[in-house]
Amino acid sequence: MTEIYINGKLYKVSLPEDTPLLWVIREHIGLTGTKFGCGKGICGACTVLLEEEPIRSCITPLKAVKGKRITTIEGIPANHPVKRAWVELNVPQCGYCQPGQIVEAYALLKKNPRASREEIVRTMSSHLCRCGTYPRILRAILRAQSMMGVKT
Amino acid sequence: MMDRRDFIKLTGLSLALVLTEGGFKIIKAVQEETINPVLWANITKDNHLVLLINKSEMGQGVWTGLAMLVADELDFPWERVRVRSAPAGPQYIDRKLGMQLTGGSTSVRNMYDFLRQLGATMREMLINYASEEWKVPREKLKAQGGYVFGNGKKASYGELWEGAVKLPIPHKVKLKDPSEFIYIGKNIPRIDAREKVDGSAIFGIDVRLKDVVYAVVERPPAFGCKLKGFDPSRAKQVEGVIDVFAISTGVAVCGKDFYSAQKGRESLKVEWTESPIKDFNDQELARYYLNALNRAGAVARHDGNPEDVISKAKVKVESVYLLPYLYHATMEPMSCVADVRKDKCVVYAPIQSQTWALKTVSRITGLDEKDIEIHTTYLGGGFGRKANVEFVREAVEISKKLGRPVKLIYTREDDVKSGWYRPMNATKFVGALDEKGRVIAIHHKIAVPAVFEWAGMPSQIDRAAVEGIENMPYSVPNLHVEFVKIDLPIPVWFWRSVGSSHNAFTLETFIDRLAKAGGRDPVELRLELLSKNPRARRVVEVCAEKSGWGRGSYRGRAMGLAYHFSFGSHVAQCAEVSLDKKTGKIRVHKVVCVIDLGPTVVHPDLVVSQMESAIVMGLSASLKERVSFSKGGPQSLNFDTYPLLTMEETPEVEVHIVKGQGPMGGVGEPGLPPIAPAVANALLWGYGIEVNQLPMTPDYIKTLI
Ligand code: FES
Ligand code: FES
Repeated sequence: MTEIYINGKLYKVSLPEDTPLLWVIREHIGLTGTKFGCGKGICGACTVLLEEEPIRSCITPLKAVKGKRITTIEGIPANHPVKRAWVELNVPQCGYCQPGQIVEAYALLKKNPRASREEIVRTMSSHLCRCGTYPRILRAILRAQSMMGVKT
Repeated sequence: MMDRRDFIKLTGLSLALVLTEGGFKIIKAVQEETINPVLWANITKDNHLVLLINKSEMGQGVWTGLAMLVADELDFPWERVRVRSAPAGPQYIDRKLGMQLTGGSTSVRNMYDFLRQLGATMREMLINYASEEWKVPREKLKAQGGYVFGNGKKASYGELWEGAVKLPIPHKVKLKDPSEFIYIGKNIPRIDAREKVDGSAIFGIDVRLKDVVYAVVERPPAFGCKLKGFDPSRAKQVEGVIDVFAISTGVAVCGKDFYSAQKGRESLKVEWTESPIKDFNDQELARYYLNALNRAGAVARHDGNPEDVISKAKVKVESVYLLPYLYHATMEPMSCVADVRKDKCVVYAPIQSQTWALKTVSRITGLDEKDIEIHTTYLGGGFGRKANVEFVREAVEISKKLGRPVKLIYTREDDVKSGWYRPMNATKFVGALDEKGRVIAIHHKIAVPAVFEWAGMPSQIDRAAVEGIENMPYSVPNLHVEFVKIDLPIPVWFWRSVGSSHNAFTLETFIDRLAKAGGRDPVELRLELLSKNPRARRVVEVCAEKSGWGRGSYRGRAMGLAYHFSFGSHVAQCAEVSLDKKTGKIRVHKVVCVIDLGPTVVHPDLVVSQMESAIVMGLSASLKERVSFSKGGPQSLNFDTYPLLTMEETPEVEVHIVKGQGPMGGVGEPGLPPIAPAVANALLWGYGIEVNQLPMTPDYIKTLI
């Protein structure tokens, strides 16, 4: 039995400890907002928060998060400025990469609400979007900052 | 376009099948003896408009665009509109395409009249019913914002709908005058945005069925290999593995979850026959394609006497191009849930081609199409790839063999190995100029696989092979276009903008080379060649003006412009580019894009996002992408070796829409073709570099400096 906290809820799962967290979340817990894109830590579709840190859940084994707090896309409040800005600017196209992008942006602004444009671009460049929503993601993060009353 | 009788059937029957708000599951329209009901729309008691849309939402915003058409004519509040995807069935065929398919940038164009008429008819039905119920003359009633009112009475559409569908369907309905539109032409919120932001949107890979078995398929390392034998014994010992067996494309490993199936597969031993192209690596492929240009092909167009004119011309330009296989790289890999029973089959899949899926499932299961339910989920990217339903077939084969519901998941590596690439191709252009630098002849030949033939639609001149060249809007008095068919066992398929994705590159860079050879400005030369095409001229002119073309070197950067007509739309793009000569690295700073898709623009911001999307994808392909080969198989199996453009590398994109006269054009694809040649043209003018191959990686560019 491995215990993990996901979005504030305690889950006990009995699975091999090397099972990647991504599949635990998707198939065993049943939260499908976190996506599979590459399985190698490259695309960012599977990004979740481990405590405050964004991690790639596809390459994170279950044993590494024992007893730890995980936040997925479903755990970020709907009225959070990042999510609101995303909707307001019609960011998602196919939407598949967006949960990962949003979790990353959320973590970035939490850590550094005043992140500069360059920092935002640098951080978000670790996420792939085949639909090419990059220009809008950037605008949405800047918009979220202004919603949060941040002056950059 | 549906005919009137079908239209009546569809609205008349919707009552029988009430769709409730919320929940992913779709109720399939039932077949009846006397009528063939089609369910397109329903208004629930609590006043939600629920639409069944026959086009796949893969990011292009088609659910928003199509729902707007109905909601506008119906005069219904946007936030109360819900879209569900229509199940696969003959009722939902796009009559203009002759099948249920999302492709060719046709959705809004093809469904525009029908869906407006649907909304207008529903509105009329509501007024008729209220008039009868309330004994108030029709003229005294108004239907607006989801309510019918007049003479002191008021009721929601939802309250009236059940009664309204029992009355005769009005035959002649008046459509709104464009001045009365409440949504069409406006930037209203995307209908799928919220679900895609909160994580609840269901893609193919997200469908969860009870007792589902997870499956992965081990595939051959090279194309054309057949299964020789396999040893499942060790795989079967892996905890959680349920079964291991051969299917038509490889060996399926089934497990209680994805991870067990994957682990089982790692312990699997498989033997394949030798690939018929085992000697093909990148060099060999290049040689093969370039050699094919020496073969005689099929002539797609021949005007005047190009050979003669070229042989006598003083100024001649010749270019040979080699463009690579490209992978779609949908962020959601192929994935499908199938449940095959003895008398019935249910499939959930992210597909663009419901009709083909239905036929395929029927063929594999032996079931009648009416016993097959196919539900389309959201697509995590499509770009043409998900019109190919081989992955659905695999899931169905596995479920049939296992007798249980199955979820098939492709890993990224499986996805690349499955093939279905944008074809590689070699092209040769020879052009001739007169003493004033006017283009008097163009001789073109392309060696390329036949995409339409791979899709089961063979023809002597493959439509994709020469599209954009054979029908070029440029007036060239002596023109030859020729197609040499490449036959290799590397599966090819439609890739966003199809033949235009490569033909625009070769043609548009060649035009600039002609301009350079003739001492002409490339914009001015294009305008001359487009003298008979005012819409094309206009997008080129507007693009030149908005980008500051001709006003000297812009911020010290090189500029290149390209124009292309595809899928009914004219698009010009101007790229601002700089090159680091030491590293060979190209930076695209800004792209100005101008599109003319005709007089009606349903949702301008969706057009803008499709232009952004196509520019990023086209730039990604032209700067970074190529499926690399070794021993007859792909080597670029994941994003480490098949890198995509990132935010850092994305230029500022500025989009302008101009409204020309003529039929409505498409939006999803036409923004892609011009970007690669625009960048290459900037390199030609700014740095004197001729790009004959893609991608423009630093290594390749360095060889040109
Ligand atoms: S799926 Fe984890 S980074 Fe791509
Ligand atoms: S929105 Fe489709 S991959 Fe990003």
